[in-house]
Amino acid sequence: MFETSPMRVIISLFILFYLQSCSTNNNTIKVKGSDTEVNLAVLMAEEFHQKDDEFLVSISGGGSGLGIASLLNGTADIANSSRRINEEEIALFSKKNIVLDSFIFAQDAIAFVVAKNFPIDSISPPDLSKILSGEVTNWSFLTKEDIPINIYGRQSNSGTHEFVKIILNIQFSPHAIQMNGNAQILEAIKADNSGIGYVGAGYVMEWERGNIKVLKIYTNVSPSISPLDSAKIASGEYFFQRPLFQYYKVRDYEKVKPFLDFEKTEKGAKIIHLSGYYPAKKIK
Amino acid sequence: MTGNRREKTDWFFKQIFKATGFITLALLGGIFFMLVYNSFSFFAEISPLDFFTGIQWDPDNKYSILPLLVSTLFVAVGSMIIAVPLGILTAAYLSEVAPKKVQTILKPVIEMLAAIPSVAIGFLGIVLLGPGISKLFGIQNGLNALNGSILLAIMALPTIITISEDAINAVPKSHREASLALGADKWETLFKITIPAALPGLIAAVLLGLGRALGETMTVLMATGNASAIPRGFLDSVRTITATIAIEMGEVPYQTTHYFALFAIAGILFLISLGINFLGEYFANRLRKFHA
Repeated sequence: MFETSPMRVIISLFILFYLQSCSTNNNTIKVKGSDTEVNLAVLMAEEFHQKDDEFLVSISGGGSGLGIASLLNGTADIANSSRRINEEEIALFSKKNIVLDSFIFAQDAIAFVVAKNFPIDSISPPDLSKILSGEVTNWSFLTKEDIPINIYGRQSNSGTHEFVKIILNIQFSPHAIQMNGNAQILEAIKADNSGIGYVGAGYVMEWERGNIKVLKIYTNVSPSISPLDSAKIASGEYFFQRPLFQYYKVRDYEKVKPFLDFEKTEKGAKIIHLSGYYPAKKIK
Repeated sequence: MTGNRREKTDWFFKQIFKATGFITLALLGGIFFMLVYNSFSFFAEISPLDFFTGIQWDPDNKYSILPLLVSTLFVAVGSMIIAVPLGILTAAYLSEVAPKKVQTILKPVIEMLAAIPSVAIGFLGIVLLGPGISKLFGIQNGLNALNGSILLAIMALPTIITISEDAINAVPKSHREASLALGADKWETLFKITIPAALPGLIAAVLLGLGRALGETMTVLMATGNASAIPRGFLDSVRTITATIAIEMGEVPYQTTHYFALFAIAGILFLISLGINFLGEYFANRLRKFHA
């Protein structure tokens, strides 16, 4: 009756870490991290296990930050991260004398989505900066219609959130609504004709795209490009695209090598493509 | 010989029960210590003045609890505005008006309300209440403080109703009989005699319900939109302290300012709910003494 949730969270965290540190099997590769990458990683692990059932690969999400933290405290062998590791985290690793290496296994594109009947089809990064930072709060500057802008984004520790923030070099408007995941953002955009949201393009591809509109992005050097255009992504022309990283400890390289090698094969590339991402190979 | 053994068994069980009691105390103390310890690490880096007076929670450089605190109060107070009249009137109905048959059905049903997982209620907030609110008020999105308040009101109702009903039942029958004998009707008796006499218990019920609402996490996380600006009204998205901790704790890098900041806001929330629970217990005890 007298619920005190913070305590409960903390205690269950302890139990979780305790349980996870118990299972140390040499043939189990534990992969943790970015929610953007988790679906892809699961498919990859399933195929890998079918090909080579000597290895078990366990995948879990939770976010890029959690993946890196788990790598640090030894509860993961590979940290999936949709952002580059930051200075603060590097310092923690070097304090423990752990040498890291990274591997780019796919490219992700961020899609900006609006309601289906939204009056514009494409937008530029400077306009997006103005919108997402809260500098303009009304669509009238672009569409001549006087409706307030609703921003739907991810939570501050999401890799997607971080990526958009860094590439546009903005502070997000505090009025931006923060959703739990890509699916919830799409759901909200469907119902809100004044909303704009950002999601991993991989999530849009699963949907029948009839319900929402994916904005094309133009810059002063390139014409409008859609994040769903795989050829353009492969050549690295889309503005909001980012590499997906896998971090691992150099001393564990032998252990994780079979899985990393599998990701580089034709089969791996095919899985990446089917999941709505773009194989890293073709991109400079 | 047998007497000696009995004494030993007695002693043994006494120690076990003592130990279980102390474990609970140690747990509470340990958690409190951890919160305070980590909060100190936070206040070593960020001045408490900025923490309490800033206007933005932006975990890169601005750590102010104010928007979170205001959000938490909005949702909790909003839920009480809905749940208190509903809860107390239901309790009054149950104990004073309802026929025995209705009582035996309604009471377990209300208690079952407490058994619904908070994540399920949060889901209702997203798929049912959210669209409903957006249609009703003509706004674009229904994930806001009002949504959270309504859901938390539902979750606090079992607590408020159960304790209020106990309080109303505990009012001696002679009070009511005296009132009726003086010519007051049933309603006058209820509103002018029974409810005022049960007031300390009702206040306890409300405070314990409020404690429940303050600590709830999953429901508000799902249904309130989590925008970190200071809300201007009930139709704004809010981000409560609990939701902030739940969102950010999973991904925060360890031993960083941000990590300590989450302990600091957890510490504040702990103190608030501790205060409210103490106050609730105080009123509940007063009721017990009053009728002893």
